[in-house]
Amino acid sequence: MSDLHRPTGAAEVNLIITGRAGQGLQVISRTLGRMLVRAGYHVFVSQDVMSRIRGGHNFARVRVSNVPVAADGDKAQVLVALDPALVARHVPDLAEDAVVVAEAAADLPEGLNPILIPLADLAREHGEDPVMANAAAVGATLALVGLDLDGTEEMFESQFASKGKDVVKRNVAAAEAGFRAVAVDQKRCCQHRLPSLGTVPERGLSPERLLISGAEALALGAIAAGVRVVTAYPMSPATPIVEYCFRHAQEAGLIVEQTEDEVSAANLAIGAAFAGARSMVCTAGGGFCLMNEALSLAGMTETPLVLCVGMRPGPATGLATRTEQADLLFSIYAGHGEFPRAVLTPADAGQAFLAAQDAFRIADKYQTPAIILFDQFMADALWTVERNVLKVDNRQEPALSEPRQEERFFDSPGSLRMTDGAASRTGRQERQVPEGLEPYSYRRYEMSESGVSPMLLPGAPQQLVYADSDEHTEEGHITESAAMRLLMVDKRNAKLAGIRQELGAPKVEVEVEVEAKTLVFCFGSSRGVVSEALVRLRARGHSVAMVHLDHVWPFPAGAVAGLVAKDKKVVTVEQNFSGQLAQLLSQECGVRAAGTVRRYDGRQFTVAEVEAGLEELVGAKVG
Amino acid sequence: MGSLPDLKPWSSPAEVTWCPGCGNFGILNALKQALVTARLEPWQVVVVGGIGQAGKVAQYVGANFLHGLHGRAIPHALGVKLANPELKVIALGGDGDMYGEGGNHLLHAFRRNPDIVCLVHNNGVYGLTKGQAAPTSSLGFATKHREAGTHVPPFNPLAAGLAMGGSFIARGFAGDVKHLSRLIGDALEHKGFGFIDILQPCVTYNHVNTPDWYRKRVYDLELESHDPSDADAARARALEWPAEGDSVEIPIGVFYRSRRAAYVTCGRPGQPVTNLRFDIGVVKKALEDFR
Repeated sequence: MSDLHRPTGAAEVNLIITGRAGQGLQVISRTLGRMLVRAGYHVFVSQDVMSRIRGGHNFARVRVSNVPVAADGDKAQVLVALDPALVARHVPDLAEDAVVVAEAAADLPEGLNPILIPLADLAREHGEDPVMANAAAVGATLALVGLDLDGTEEMFESQFASKGKDVVKRNVAAAEAGFRAVAVDQKRCCQHRLPSLGTVPERGLSPERLLISGAEALALGAIAAGVRVVTAYPMSPATPIVEYCFRHAQEAGLIVEQTEDEVSAANLAIGAAFAGARSMVCTAGGGFCLMNEALSLAGMTETPLVLCVGMRPGPATGLATRTEQADLLFSIYAGHGEFPRAVLTPADAGQAFLAAQDAFRIADKYQTPAIILFDQFMADALWTVERNVLKVDNRQEPALSEPRQEERFFDSPGSLRMTDGAASRTGRQERQVPEGLEPYSYRRYEMSESGVSPMLLPGAPQQLVYADSDEHTEEGHITESAAMRLLMVDKRNAKLAGIRQELGAPKVEVEVEVEAKTLVFCFGSSRGVVSEALVRLRARGHSVAMVHLDHVWPFPAGAVAGLVAKDKKVVTVEQNFSGQLAQLLSQECGVRAAGTVRRYDGRQFTVAEVEAGLEELVGAKVG
Repeated sequence: MGSLPDLKPWSSPAEVTWCPGCGNFGILNALKQALVTARLEPWQVVVVGGIGQAGKVAQYVGANFLHGLHGRAIPHALGVKLANPELKVIALGGDGDMYGEGGNHLLHAFRRNPDIVCLVHNNGVYGLTKGQAAPTSSLGFATKHREAGTHVPPFNPLAAGLAMGGSFIARGFAGDVKHLSRLIGDALEHKGFGFIDILQPCVTYNHVNTPDWYRKRVYDLELESHDPSDADAARARALEWPAEGDSVEIPIGVFYRSRRAAYVTCGRPGQPVTNLRFDIGVVKKALEDFR
């Protein structure tokens, strides 16, 4: 499934919904987005939010297309302004024929194409609450793009079920009033009719689509991996992951703990993982700094731990609600001492759902930390995902009846058959003490070729489990033996080879362009933007292909070296100042990037600027 | 009085590396006796240790252990307990561990009231780092690093615990193993955060608060008919020491005990989350919300 070629017939409409914090922008963009997805469209919604609780200037971009979209569009055809004073700021973002939906009383800049609607009055009259201007705006927008009100009630029901029938009813009434104000009163229906769906072939995709944020997909992926303990100290952009887990704690059987600080969050998760619960801690770069010692402890004690680390612009508090990719190297090197880890860098909601499961599988199988490194843009954006992409990974657990001989990755003299990690998705009662193990003879850090030792849980009858932060013997007792130190360092770090194999090689994401002269490397949320920029460049005759890294550690050095072997030019696209991915390419496989397209103002790359930046680099001679 | 309990099941092959005469021996001994009296098996218990001479107890008890980080024994213990409430969990560490590095965790543990036992080996000095002042060193306590003596007044853990709503606040003395063992037994029985500050002589670095110094000053609250359900009385007793002057007396025993409910979390009550089976239906249903 490739969204890397735009077929003929592809068309789109772009909307911007702008307002102050507290005006319900997220409700509008999600409601609209879901209705459009249900109508058969591909939708991409991104959020631009200030770090404040009320007021300011927030907006959402909603891109609607008849083909898959994974980046913001260019100019908008529709601007919906909940606060007309903000219209002027968006004039540069608007296409020439754009319409502006705004409050009837608004005094708008010259030269616009306004549709003035008494949004606040409609909200008061029909929704009995001025905040329902957002619902009225939803109705008005539906009319503008040529959709009807079918399904509005169901949509509000699913959004506001917990707030009661009355709230749903008033929202629906306000939406209907907004719809009528455009379609009937102003006869402006279908001003920017959506593209026809029939012109683009389905390309084998399931018509069942979801609109889900990266954060929600990450949380749900963790639930699909059988997470049992989620800990956090609130910090943007990781908070929505925790909120989702909180909301689903009861039905999914989760413990969600908001701790007194990040240090506690990470260490609590380690304690829980030691006791056998799949555990995850959620934070942002600053909080991750505080967790570094715990990360190191997880490495030393060989405790499975998943960390969701959201990148926002630093150093220090930086731009708290905005996006960056500057913690790439930090995530790889964080924590004192040397120990193995995985760092996964999912591009979008679909990849995030799978990455969460990969992280738990790897953390558990290799008894070491796994980091899911994402950025604010990925977490807060709403992505259209085919339902069948969101697969639940069955490798999380062995068949309950038989040991997985083929997946044994250690072969210990004691012949313990504990092939799954102790904190596997399977319930603890399925992981009994293996037959033949003498009472009180278990050795937590038993040597093995793979570096992975059989993992029992504390509470196993007549066995003792030791987790030791000091250098330790195979049993887990303190030692200062030089010989044991060497064995244990080698044992721990041997696990990296297994993780590398498990994660596999990154793919060149353009099948027909394997012979491309230039390879564009990126990671995380840049994928959608870069792939679309490359479509445009290829259309102009450039020979370019993208290599998106959905994991950066262990670095897939062999695979990357193989890809760039043949006289290819390499460039990177990354949202940081120093070109961290380019540094990694050079360090890990001796590949020198000819250049880097960078952005570090806290805003996501646009397709146009990546296109322009790459054209400059691609056009240059191979140096 | 019965015969001494058989401590044999509670033995560890680990080499004990404390100084001869260390107060930790008394604490280890008292802990083992309490565990035997509580009829616990070593595999049913998890001892979580901080870092320092006190944290090493984790390795010497002969139970499951998580010997983690300086200051973090409480979060580790809380994690173990939340994941599997069937385990008996004991967090222990020194004054640097619990009152310095991990002070924030301790304050919030009093509030949260998890069903774990917390033992603090309070020797008023840093041992493993070779003799610096601790949060509980008395005013003017001279060290090699600060010959003029510390000029910061000591932390009062019992008063802090009472202020934070702690449900079991006690002080023991490493020199009175029988008394301490009974206190630990009470803490093990208590449903909630069983906190014991333990006066522990350090024979190498603390030449002020010696075993004799303590013996002359400690008195048992029980013999003074102190009522541990009386919070005001507990606060008054807690403020008796640390204090300046030669005539101070140091109360030991249970200062305060309440029936405040122990912390339980969301998830499915009565069922350790580690026992839950994975249910794919939850994921399928949740995905429907995004259509």
